[in-house]
Amino acid sequence: MIRAFLRAVGPDRARPLAAALALTAFVSAVQGVVFALLVPVLERLLGPAPGTAAPWALALAAATAVYAVLRAASLYLNFRVGGSISRALHHRLGDHVVRLPLGWFTGARLGELNRIATEGVSRTTSLPVHTYPPLADAVVTPVVAVAALALFDWRLSLACAAALAVLWMVFDLSSDAVGRGDAARDAVADEAADRVVEYARAQPVLRAFGRDERGRTSLDRALAAEHRTARTLLFRAVPALFAYSFAVRAALTGILAFTLHLALGGTLAAPTAVALLVLAVRFAHPLSAAAEHGASLRMAVNGLARINAVLDARPLPEPAEPTPPRGALVEFDAVRFAYDGEPVLDGLSLRAEPGTVTALVGPSGAGKTTAARLLARFHDADAGQVRVGGVDVRDIGGEELSRHVAVVFQDVYLFDATVADNVRVADPGATLEDLERVAARSGLDRVVAELPRGWDTRVGDGGTSLSGGQRQRVSIARALLKDAPVVVLDEASAALDAENEALLTATAVGLAREGRTVLVIAHRPATVAAADRIAFLDGGRVAEEGTPGELLALDGRHAAHVRARERARGWRITAARP
Amino acid sequence: MTRNDTAAAAPGRAEPGPGAPAPSPLKVLLAPVRGRVAAAVALQGAAGALGLVPLVCVAEIARALLGPGAPDHGRAWALVGLALAGAVAALLAGAASTLVGHLADNDMQLAVRRSLAAHLSRVPLGWFSGRGSGRVKKALHDDIGEVHSLVAHTLPDLAAVVAVPAVALVYLAATDWRLALVAAALVAAGIALFARAMAGGNAKLAEYARAMNDINTSAVEFVEGIQVVKHFGGHRRSHARFLRAADAFADFFVSWARATTPVTVASFLLLSAPTVTVAAVLAGTAFTAAGWTDPVSVVAFALVAPALCAPMNVIGSRVQQVQAAGAAAARVAAVLAVPALPEGAGGVPRDAGVVFEGVRFAYPAEGDREAQEVLRGVDLVLEPGTVTALVGPSGAGKSTLAALPARFHDPASGSVSLGGADVRDLPAETLYRTVGFVFQDVRLLRESVADNISLGRPGATRAEVEAAARAARIHDRIERLPRGYDSVVGEDADLSGGEAQRVSIARLFLADPPVLVLDEATAAVDPVAEADIQDALADLARDRTVLVIAHRLATVTGADRIAVMEDGRITESGTHGDLLAAGGRYAALWNARHRHDGTEEGEEQ
Repeated sequence: MIRAFLRAVGPDRARPLAAALALTAFVSAVQGVVFALLVPVLERLLGPAPGTAAPWALALAAATAVYAVLRAASLYLNFRVGGSISRALHHRLGDHVVRLPLGWFTGARLGELNRIATEGVSRTTSLPVHTYPPLADAVVTPVVAVAALALFDWRLSLACAAALAVLWMVFDLSSDAVGRGDAARDAVADEAADRVVEYARAQPVLRAFGRDERGRTSLDRALAAEHRTARTLLFRAVPALFAYSFAVRAALTGILAFTLHLALGGTLAAPTAVALLVLAVRFAHPLSAAAEHGASLRMAVNGLARINAVLDARPLPEPAEPTPPRGALVEFDAVRFAYDGEPVLDGLSLRAEPGTVTALVGPSGAGKTTAARLLARFHDADAGQVRVGGVDVRDIGGEELSRHVAVVFQDVYLFDATVADNVRVADPGATLEDLERVAARSGLDRVVAELPRGWDTRVGDGGTSLSGGQRQRVSIARALLKDAPVVVLDEASAALDAENEALLTATAVGLAREGRTVLVIAHRPATVAAADRIAFLDGGRVAEEGTPGELLALDGRHAAHVRARERARGWRITAARP
Repeated sequence: MTRNDTAAAAPGRAEPGPGAPAPSPLKVLLAPVRGRVAAAVALQGAAGALGLVPLVCVAEIARALLGPGAPDHGRAWALVGLALAGAVAALLAGAASTLVGHLADNDMQLAVRRSLAAHLSRVPLGWFSGRGSGRVKKALHDDIGEVHSLVAHTLPDLAAVVAVPAVALVYLAATDWRLALVAAALVAAGIALFARAMAGGNAKLAEYARAMNDINTSAVEFVEGIQVVKHFGGHRRSHARFLRAADAFADFFVSWARATTPVTVASFLLLSAPTVTVAAVLAGTAFTAAGWTDPVSVVAFALVAPALCAPMNVIGSRVQQVQAAGAAAARVAAVLAVPALPEGAGGVPRDAGVVFEGVRFAYPAEGDREAQEVLRGVDLVLEPGTVTALVGPSGAGKSTLAALPARFHDPASGSVSLGGADVRDLPAETLYRTVGFVFQDVRLLRESVADNISLGRPGATRAEVEAAARAARIHDRIERLPRGYDSVVGEDADLSGGEAQRVSIARLFLADPPVLVLDEATAAVDPVAEADIQDALADLARDRTVLVIAHRLATVTGADRIAVMEDGRITESGTHGDLLAAGGRYAALWNARHRHDGTEEGEEQ
């Protein structure tokens, strides 16, 4: 745990953290000495001459004073270290995560990262304050006390040492079992909760079909079954939960019996026996207290493992000497790429010239989106090259590449700030004129005109107070403001209404006429038709390529697709009465 | 019963009547398991007290060994046996408390899930599409967890916190009142310091919560927006904001620690086992020298005095947990108190016509979002068996209007009627049998494909299900699934968006509702799939009253009527030809599209 901890906070903070943890362990050792000093004091106090206890009592008082000062210093230090850990972890995570390739950020990873950045870090912060000291007390203090015992009676010391070894083993086993039991119960509870959430989300469907009652009966059965499972798990969990406490108490009783046996047998003086019993009881105390910290220890260990897993994720290599692209020519040269072992691009070769609109079309799964993602270096190609302006994207450098390539993503995320702020993400120094200019081209101007506070309207958490179409327009404006020579529109027209779809097509064409290279992952016939070139992708490579006219004349896959589309588009919804 | 009666009566179920003070949500939540929670608390208290028995036995063994004359072997061994019995009894009581508490909690969770399920089937559908689903999720996953900690851990622990020191104090006072006073004074000083450390703690805690919340918000924003952040080369803004929040939190944590640590540490030290033990032993040594006390009593104190303060260290966090559980219970209660949709009892629709009359509707303010009037007086008549298309810019209110016939919301003023009957007067079953809808966002249940389709008509035969699937152009795909119609969605039936959409269309073929609301799919699916979906929809629409939200004008040129919506109102309506001739908004929209269609069609031919 300590190694994982030191690794997570990074080399700069590892030293102070290690020092704080070492001091805490030392304080636990001093606590052991304090407990050990009880023995000579009590031994003499209970003996024939209680007066002789005084010098030892003074020594005990002095040791306790030292203990108190050290403990105070250590607690204080640990609080401070906790604060600096929180800072260090957030900074390390924040700095590291922005260097990770965009392809790393899948939906599941985002959720996990969120949990780590909030709960995970705060749990780790409290580790040196709340979890580590009692555990150090449970390990170091008994060891020192057992060593001190040897000075008085080696037999008892040996018995206690054996008991300790067994107790730690039981602690490990039972804490594992408790962890598994908790995880199993949590899983059942989550499952039951998810069922109700699913039921809530499916309400429209359930009600639409009047199946509400039946839906509830089956839900109820599932809930009752999960309730029974949880019960069974509970009955099974209790023995593990109390195994360790039982072991501590059994060990203590054993030592009590052994001491009594020695004392009654006459081989151990009664005052010494009693004093040693007090010592045994005292060091058993932190041992049983440790049981309460088993759960937080487990969570801390898991949390640290998760934090380290994120910190271990490797960013894409950055070139030692970035080469700026010469021009805006986009080339895919025999590019291969597999996602999770599943080949997506299989020798894709493609050229998109500056000043043209290239439409990527093809069935879903053909690799259109992946091609765009490789261009923006979400991932690196497994083989082949993706070049912008004649330079491999891997040699351009992240900052430079992002200046050259602007992408309008399918899923639009807006920050909880004003509309203007959200567009300015692309260029923090943009003037209002700049904003108005890109708004006019992206259709955002109409949205802004309708919003209660225009540009200064806050978009809400994640952009929730704007509609899908409105969010998309913000995202297009953002990409336009970036003024990049290469623009990728990924299914951008999917959520737009007719008017804006037309506007967008015009924007794409306009951008190309300014000399930019425009790639459109297109589904709309209008966009496809307006493209200078079409690349029809299938199975991760270009199946057909040419101008719209050429491809239609070829009468191949693309032409077939267009006809299917035509049939879809030609569909007129009418109340066709016979 | 008239509509007004229903509306007036329904909320009464959810809200406590005036005059009667509302019981705390936590009490209400715990009411069914109150007895067992009390038992768990009592058992844990008993476990704490029994835990002292071994310590007292050791003290008594010391007395037996050190007493005048030869030690009484029998008595000493009996005390060892008693110590063991006490330890075992304490463990059993503790285990029983844990078991009883957790079982009570398990029952409470089941009860909460059941009552949520019952309630959720009665709240307006619109509530779910807002933040409702999120709230249900939080109530069920997080809030119930807080209440769990309270029932299963916190309350029993508090019992031990009270019982252990009380029993210990009684024993110590009986052993030696002077030493007991010293120990008690020490503990009292510790508690006083502790109280001081806690005082003003609430304000600090609120500040802590705020700082934590800032981190959470900025972390969520940072993580969710990472794509944008990275792509625009400026991890500047959001990254900086996240790090600022992280720094603010760390600074706050350190300054808080600096301000409270001296007092906290002092109280921790005064209330810790080594200090209390040593103090008792030192005082005992001095008192023995003064002849005030018997040395054996000092042993009793060294053993038992730390029990006076042992549980004090946990009390602060426990108090916070009780408060957190209270707040969590209130959130659960709030979900249960979402007003249910008053259900009509009368009304029978005469035909399949739908009439919107002076409909106004506003989404209520939520969070920092202001209330927003989305529909501002809509009048629209859908004649039975006709197709009406809603067109207009995004945000014009099309989806909101289309959701009203199925009562996702009720209008603020005006009315929506179905075959002459106000939808609010219709029993839910009649309403949902009359109005069917196809959403963009298709939800299939985690059940077999056949069951998903037969939702449309429970009890339908397999042949009927297959016929519906054929009509929806999905039969062949289902046959290719590993277990065909018995494949379970999300397990072995991995359906694409377009395929799921066709399953939902199959449902409607089976359900056969006379009124149909369609939100035209805008998600990009491949053209072949899209053509299939649209063929299926065209078949489905036949002979029904259809309201379609159209995103592409071309699909609805043949509609009986096209209504153009702008800014919550219908600004134009008529057939495609009428509207083009009128040269208004629709004509402008059409022309914007048509230019490109023209080029495209020119090249295709």
